[in-house]
Amino acid sequence: MEVMKSLSDVADSKQQQEQQQQQQHFHVLAVDDSVIDRKLLERLLKGSSYKVTCVDSGDEALKYLGLIDHDDQKPTDSSSLTSPYPQQSSSEQEGSKVINLIMTDYCMPGMSGYDLLKRVKGSSWKDIPVVVMSSENVPSRINMCLEEGAEEFLLKPLQISDLKKLQPYLLKTLDQPSSSIDSSNNLVVEEIGDDDHDGQSKINEEINKGSVMNNTNASSISKRKAVTTETSDRIPKMKGLVVA
Amino acid sequence: MDAVAQWRNQWFDYTHYLRREGFLDDQFAQLKKLQDENSPDFVVEVVSLFFQDSEKLLNNMARALEQNVVDFKQVDACVHQFKGSSAWIGAMRLKNVCINFRNYCEAQNLEGCLGCLQQVRQECLALKNNLENLFRLEQQIVAAGGSIPVME
Repeated sequence: MEVMKSLSDVADSKQQQEQQQQQQHFHVLAVDDSVIDRKLLERLLKGSSYKVTCVDSGDEALKYLGLIDHDDQKPTDSSSLTSPYPQQSSSEQEGSKVINLIMTDYCMPGMSGYDLLKRVKGSSWKDIPVVVMSSENVPSRINMCLEEGAEEFLLKPLQISDLKKLQPYLLKTLDQPSSSIDSSNNLVVEEIGDDDHDGQSKINEEINKGSVMNNTNASSISKRKAVTTETSDRIPKMKGLVVA
Repeated sequence: MDAVAQWRNQWFDYTHYLRREGFLDDQFAQLKKLQDENSPDFVVEVVSLFFQDSEKLLNNMARALEQNVVDFKQVDACVHQFKGSSAWIGAMRLKNVCINFRNYCEAQNLEGCLGCLQQVRQECLALKNNLENLFRLEQQIVAAGGSIPVME
């Protein structure tokens, strides 16, 4: 009995750790030409325990995603002291980059957020959710972006509550069928997916608790539910043994 | 009444004044919520960054408006950015001046634009002074061993 208890406790805290790790795996690429906006975005996202990379233009975003040849890349103007710009060192291969969400400003000099959205959706990164932000509430602009495949259109200034809207898209990226993701992303998706099913069940619970799912995600949720019903009945027993 | 209580009262009076006069709106309270033990100086950092950035933007606007042939689109782009930044920190009066400014840009009204630029500079200075006062007050509260009240 005692032995089983402690094993369960260990397993349970391992579950929590895994869940935390999965949350910490969420990497957001934030694209905005304004230094203030980048600072605020970074703070908001880090406050939700996401890892953030900020870039100041659509071009820089494409370079980061490896969609532009960056042989002759110069270091970007680091006007933001606090946002680390991606270092294009030779040691970091494209294949190791993981992005779970792209957030982009709409109005940017040069490449607009809409242009960036189109580029991303027409690339191997097309399954990565893209959220467009703007300080202007222009319905035609919003529709245009949503039609082009943006998951969400958020009005600036963003609130802490807006971040809750992002969660379903991020969680969805954990559930992506590997075929639709560029091979560079497969690595991480499989890593997470191959963890014991308890990790997935825990996420499933979180989603149900959150109840912020929109209809498009419903089918993927029910799929996941079907997969994990076998393991889910273990959860109540383990929950009972959780040391809070 | 002890020192902390006095400073805190002053803080309430001052923030009410700033809200009433439109210097700050609810967004500033949201900004404060982002400050915590992990980012204890967040608000001051953002505000400093704002004033640094605004200096740059205002200079760009001034330069653009001095040209023989004024590129109103360029001025508008600067004002748009400035308006966005002002909104993030809850600088309501600044944001409102920017709205007027953009209207003048659209109408390609040079005089109107120059007037707005002047107004923006004045509002910026006033806001800077007000925020410096507020932060000083907060420092005094903390130095006296108290905690800064939560902004509603």
